[in-house]
Order: sequence, then structure tokens, then C-alpha cells
Amino acid sequence: MYRFHLPVLLPVAVAAAALGACDKTASPPAEGNAATVKIGAALSLTGPAASYGAQQKAGLTAAVAEVNASGALPVKLELIIDDDASTKEQGIAVFQKLINRDKVAVIIGPTLSNTASAADPLAQQAGVPVLAVSNTAAKGITDIGDHIWRDSLTEAQVIPGAFAKAQQKLGFKSAGVLYGNDDVFTKAGYDVMQKVLADLGVKLVGTQTFAKADRDYHAQLTALIDAKPDALVVSALADNAAAIVSQARQHGWTGPILGGNGFNSPAFIKNAGPAAEGILVGTSWDSTSQSPANQKFLAALAKQSVNPDQFSAQAYTAIYILAEAIKQSGGKAGRDDINAGFAKVKDLDTPLGKFSFTPARDASHQPSVQIIKDGKFQIVQ
Amino acid sequence: MDALRDLLLTYETLVGYVGINTLLALSIYATLSAGQLSLANAGFMAIGAYTGALLTLRAGLPFPLVLVAATLVPALVAVPLGLPVLRLRGVFLAIATIGFGEVVRLGFVNWDYVNGAMGLDAIPQKTRLWMIWLAVAAALFLFARLRGSRAGLALEAIREDETAARSMGIGTTSHKLAVLALGASLAGLAGAFEAHLTFTVAPNGFAFGRVIDMLVQAVVGGTLVFYGPLLGAAFLTILPELLREIGARAGVAPGAFRPMVNGLVLLLVILFLPNGLASLPARWRARRGRR
Amino acid sequence: MGQQALNGIFVGSIYALFAVGYTLVFGVLDILNLAHQAVFMLSAFLALTLVATAHLPLGAAMLVAILAAGVLGIVLERIAFRPLRGRADSNISGLISSLAMATVFEAIALQLFGPDISRFPLGTFPDRVVRIGTATASLLQIVIVGVAVALMAALSLLIARTRLGRQLRAVAESPRAARVLGIDVDRVIAYAFFLSSALGGAAGVLFGLAFNSISPDVGRSVELKGLAVIILGGMGSIPGAVVAGFALGLVETFTVARFGSSFRDVVSFAVLFLVLVARPRGLFGQASVREG
Repeated sequence: MYRFHLPVLLPVAVAAAALGACDKTASPPAEGNAATVKIGAALSLTGPAASYGAQQKAGLTAAVAEVNASGALPVKLELIIDDDASTKEQGIAVFQKLINRDKVAVIIGPTLSNTASAADPLAQQAGVPVLAVSNTAAKGITDIGDHIWRDSLTEAQVIPGAFAKAQQKLGFKSAGVLYGNDDVFTKAGYDVMQKVLADLGVKLVGTQTFAKADRDYHAQLTALIDAKPDALVVSALADNAAAIVSQARQHGWTGPILGGNGFNSPAFIKNAGPAAEGILVGTSWDSTSQSPANQKFLAALAKQSVNPDQFSAQAYTAIYILAEAIKQSGGKAGRDDINAGFAKVKDLDTPLGKFSFTPARDASHQPSVQIIKDGKFQIVQ
Repeated sequence: MDALRDLLLTYETLVGYVGINTLLALSIYATLSAGQLSLANAGFMAIGAYTGALLTLRAGLPFPLVLVAATLVPALVAVPLGLPVLRLRGVFLAIATIGFGEVVRLGFVNWDYVNGAMGLDAIPQKTRLWMIWLAVAAALFLFARLRGSRAGLALEAIREDETAARSMGIGTTSHKLAVLALGASLAGLAGAFEAHLTFTVAPNGFAFGRVIDMLVQAVVGGTLVFYGPLLGAAFLTILPELLREIGARAGVAPGAFRPMVNGLVLLLVILFLPNGLASLPARWRARRGRR
Repeated sequence: MGQQALNGIFVGSIYALFAVGYTLVFGVLDILNLAHQAVFMLSAFLALTLVATAHLPLGAAMLVAILAAGVLGIVLERIAFRPLRGRADSNISGLISSLAMATVFEAIALQLFGPDISRFPLGTFPDRVVRIGTATASLLQIVIVGVAVALMAALSLLIARTRLGRQLRAVAESPRAARVLGIDVDRVIAYAFFLSSALGGAAGVLFGLAFNSISPDVGRSVELKGLAVIILGGMGSIPGAVVAGFALGLVETFTVARFGSSFRDVVSFAVLFLVLVARPRGLFGQASVREG
């Protein structure tokens, strides 16, 4: 009746063969070769989070070079960076490749909480430890399982302090909020902001949303400004944030703007230009810290001519945490050794300050508040 | 053996996706077989995916029942949608159904119970490769049997000339509704498979681009024969992965290379292989015969 | 309210300009050109490059970008549409070949400009705020609305008064009859693509200036809005597209003001869907569309 034609199977067979061939040439050095430790990094090098990914790449490569040069470890670190394109789907694909093909010992990233909530379960299932360096959503990251760690503070840790300090300085009593509702990170930021504003007794006079792909925020901003708030509060990724701030200034908004973690990027200042002046942002990294670890970090990034921010600092710190974990497990660098080693990291000197994990595998250190002045982030004392 | 196992693990999702995309391309093929370009299938897929995910997460139903529900619910939505919309022809039907798909997607974005735009996470991975491919085989079998059957001939008559088909006494509305519902079922099932394969569902996965992908895979494979969508889905799902490998090996920066080749291949197929990849063997045979 | 009306007119003028080009090709060929959004995007990038790196004045850069977009339209027609003419399924295959071209165009932009959002240099356009009653608008916004309206008026005149306009209308009515009358149909179609793409390109440049963020996928968000506009206005109807463009812009901004931004797109697509089901001709269309 219906013959199955050869061509039905042919492309599949050809593709399988081709993939097979690829795999052979790419096959990793025999297992048990302890001389190198493969570190996978799933970073958003393209897409809406690309400006963070670029910072993270710079931080990781600088730290790996330093650790390898120092000879502090009996093993060499080998960094494999792959682009998750700021999407869940690509993030899952990258995780699968890193876990099964490259057989990495540990994964750093992914850049966005959105991607992490989808991809981290894969690593948890395969027993590969993950060290998140920028996931700030309070829920749904480290509670995925006992192999998921992070060195980034959550929004819930940063925003309360930042907003309290801002209110104390500026004395606003009402606020209008604009947030991205199709991203875990910006939505989680909004949830925290809403609660913190209520705790501070600030009245919410309006709430508006946008989607990552939006370019036009005039209608939302007009509605918010019409409600006459004392301050605007925005939870957005850097790309959206720059356009939002510019358009708010176009509408003649001169009042204070408080940003979430997404504003924490030199790219934001560059793109928003003068519109960025005076904006307040909480941060997990005190760029002015005089600690030797921070000074070393600043020098390393200056050598790459990268203007460092919280994202490169957290990524850089991750490699030192990893090195410490390997040290703690006696120089062994299997997946389980590293996972066990993370738990033993105590009061490590890093650019972020003295670093230890909480029992819930989260980070815990003092956040700071910064204001944008003359095109630069400055710590508010 | 280990190498083979790793290979399979690495490309497990890829093999699964070829199957899922085949189901989706077949869902477009279903309505195209009656000459109707309906682009509501991303919406149907979303309905199936959310139905499945909610039944698993909130009701704890066993997976087979979940799949049955994800197949039925979109079909139930398709009937009241089809009654008014299937009166439209050609591009107008296409645009109306795009509108429907977007309304469904945005409905999920604004529905707090399903976490709005962030979607549902931590869906247990219950989809196995054999399930997907069993469904693909069943769907292919169904379409193969349809060919030459009474219903199949009626669909062909509608595709050729709807007015003539109606005057011959063929119930054009019921036939068109039937294939719309069938397409909706296939898309819904594919959605449920995907949700239980990737751990997550989110509205953004069902945007306009998704249904365009389905259409492209069906057309590149060929819409005159039932196995065309399989060819198209396999080819266009594997091609980007191959290109990624090749790109990485050749040291080409990721980004532009893949979409460029994708677009060019699509253009070449549509210009020079009007009946898709499925028509290649006939062409080869014809060429050899001429020699 | 006044401010929201201004916002609506502002974004509506860009929707309308984009959709006028879209609907022009549909009126002549009965084909949806899915690469229209990619021409829109490339033109915006070209203007940006001319301003940022070649330091051309904005007006000149815009003119060059619009002409280049028109030429791109002719290329597009040659590669993706002309070979398909006469094929039975040219409706669907045209859709797909134009989609393929859109993918290629986006890849080119990705290669040349990268995936990130690019912006016009600060101060490309003088930052001045104008008060209109209780509302404020920037000078840029007013200029954008003015340019869009002027271009659409010019197109309407061209179609109503010139020989090319008459030929376009003849081909839209019936290509076969037009050929009998001695009209070079291929040439007229090429002109239609030039005009359509030039207008799409102009919309791209204005959009880029207005919201100052251009990326290779920037056209996609406008594409679906453009579809809604040409359906609302009646496929192939240019005055319909103009009115519907402004209408959609206003509906969107007032939805935001009344119900919140989450419902903005729901309302536009629900309107699109209802119009198709209840009155498929749209507001201004005449053609019977129920029978293909």
C-alpha cells in the first residue's frame, strides 16, 4: 500500500552520521584526566541580557587566568563558555551539551533567572553542581535542589536596604511602578518592590507593565505620571531600562527614579545618557571597597579595558569560590567533590567581601546603594 | 558504547523535538489537505501544553490521562472557533487564526493562576522518546489511510474547488471542521509532550513565530503527501544543530550564520522544489529516466 | 487624556505608515509580504549608520535610507515573488519566500550590527518639548507625525493623479485586463514594491528615531500590528490603512490608560479577530473575500 521511501530515513541517517562524526573529533580527553577541570559557563552573550553576559565573560576569563597562573591548585581550570541567547530553550540546549558532551565538572550561570529555573533541574538531575552568578529571583533557584548554589544576592536582600536609604534621602511618600511582566527576574523584582514600598509606608498610585520586546512606553509612563507620584520605580533589564528612563524624561519627568538590579550595568548609563543622572540603584558589590581582593579585581578588569560592574564582580568571585571548593576537597575536582567543597567555603576574601554560603546555598553579605552621577555609579554613603 | 550513550543523551531533546515538530507540521498539514491555511495552531498547542501541565501539577493526574485531555481540549475549542472562521478564505483565514493564536497567548500572559508571562516551571519530565514517536507513527498511519478513502477524496475535492465540491453534495463545513479539530488535537498533544520534556511552559513559546515554524516545516517537506511534514520537520530541526556544530568547528561566531543558512535553504526549497523535499525522489527518477 | 491622545496619534502615525506599504503590495498582488518588517528594520539601521559613522545630517540620512529601502523592495520582488508568479499556490509560497527573505535580512543585520539594541547618538535631534494644551510633546514627535502624514498624502496623490497610479489601480483590479490594455505589468509590480518598501523604510527610520532602540528583531513587534491595521482598514485599501493605523494607536494607548498595559495587545487582536468574523471587508474594503 504505502511504501516507505528511502528519503524518509535518509536525512535522519545522514544527520546522525554527521553528528557522530562531529562527536568523534570533539570527544573530550579520556575521563579521569585530572590535570584539567572543565568549567561550563552558560552566559547570555546575545539577546536582551547580552550586556550582563559580556561582563560575566570578562570576569570569568580574568579569574581563570589568575588562578591558573598562581599555581594554587594541583589542577588547571578550563573554561567552556556557551551562549544561551537569553532564552530558556537555548539555555536547556547549552546545559545538555555541557553536561553530556563536554562533561564539565561544574556549571556557572545561566545569566537570567528565567533560564535558570528551566535549565538548572537538568544539572540537578545529572548531579552536576551549578554556581549561579547573577540569578536574583528569591524563589525557584537554589531551592531546585542541593546542587544549585549562588553568589549573587537576591532582590529581596538588596532592595529593602536600597529603598529605605533612598526614602530617607529623598522623602518620597507615593510611587508609580513600571515592571516587565514576562521575565522572572523583573517580575520577582516587582514583587519585592511592592512589598518593600508598602513596608516603608509609600503609597502606590499606579502600576503598569511592559514586555521585553516593547519599545514604546509612552502610554504607560503618561498614565503613571498623570497619577502624580513622588517617585517612579522601575524593574527592567538594562536595555528596556535605558529606553524607559529616556522616554520618562521626554515626558518632563524630573523626579527621582529608583531602579532594580537590571539597572546595574555601565551599558545602561551609556545608552540612557544624561537621562540616567540621579537614578538610584541597589547593588551587591561596593565598587569603592579598598579590600585587596577588590583592588586586584579592579586591576584585572582594567587590563581587559572592561568597565567592571556587579556582574563581572560576581562572575570573577565565582571562580575563586570554585578554586576554594576544590582546595577544600583536597584538590579533587569531580562533580561530587566540588559540590561537597562548596559547603566548606568559609569567609573567603572576595571582591564582594567575606564570602560564605548560607545553609540554603545562597549568598549573604551587605548590599550597598549607588547613585548615577556624571555618568558613573557612585556609592551612596 | 559509552560514546553512543552520551551522544544519545546529548541529542535526546533533539530526537524528541524532531518528533514534536513532526506532530506540529502534521497539524498544519491537516487543514492544508482541505486547502485551508489555518495558523491557529500555536494557540492550540498552548492550550494543550497548559492543559497538560496543569493536570500534572495541580491535579496529579496520571500521564496517559493528561495526554488524552491535552488532545481533546484543543479540539473542543476548535469547533466553536471554526464555525465562524472557516467561512473565510485564503489569507483572511490565515490572519483571523493568527489573531486567535495571539489572543490565546496573551490570555495566558494575563492569567495569574498560571503565573502569567513567566509560565509554569518544575513540570516533571514524563515524556519519553517512544511516546512521541508512537504518536508520530499513529498520526502518519492515520493520514496514510486517509489517502484514497472517501473522506480523503472529499478533502481533495474541497482543496481543488470548494464551490464545486459543495455542489457535488460534499459537506464542506463538516469536513473543514473535522480537519481543523484534528490539527488542533495534534498541536495540543505536541504541546503537552513539549511541556513534559522541557520542564516548563510559558506563553512566549507560543508566539507568532512558532506557528510560522510549523508552516515552514510542512511546506519545505511537502504538503502533497503525508510524510512531507516528517521530512520537513526532521530537516529543519536537525539543520540548525548541524550548523551550530559546523559553525563552532569552523570558528564562525554564533549568531548570524545559522539564520542566514536557514533562510537561504528555505528560499531555495520554495523556489526550486515547489512540492517540497518529498518530491525529490520523483525528480531524481525523472532525471535518470531522461538520461 | 489629552496626553494619551497625543501618544496614540504618535504611535498610530508609524503604524499607519508601515501598514500603507504593506497593504499596497497586497492590493496589487494579493500576497502578504512578510519581509516588509525586515525592510523596515534594515532601513532604520542604515539611517543610524549614516548618522552615527558617516556623520550625515539626519534629513539626508533619512532620504538615502528610504531610497535604499525602495531598491531593496525591487530586489525582494525579483528574488522572492516574481519566480512564483503564476504558480497555483502563490498565496502560500509567496508568504514563505518572503519569510525566507526576512530571515536572511535579519541575519545580515545581525552580522553587521550585532544582536544588541543600537541607538542614534545623543543629540541627533534637538531635545525640545512643546506644550499643546495640557499635554506635552517633543519636537521630534511632532516632526514624526508630520513626515508620516506628508508621505501618506503624497502616496494618495500619486495613486489618484498620476499615470503610474492609474496603472497600479488597473493591475490591482485585474492583471490580465491590464496586460490587454498594454500595461507592462511586471514593471508596475516592481514600482509597487519600490513604493511599498520605501514607505516601510521611512516608517522604520521614524520608529528608530521615536523610540531610539533598533535591533535586528525590531520589525517583528510592528509586523503583527501592521496585519491588524490592514485588516481593520480593509485589505488593499490605502485610506483604510491610514485611518485604521491611527485608530489602533489610539485604542492601544487608551487601553493602557483605562485597563492597564497588560491588556493592550489583547484588545488589538480581539478587535482584529472580531472585525474579520463580523465584517471581513474591514472598514473600507470593497472586495468580496469570503469566496477566494
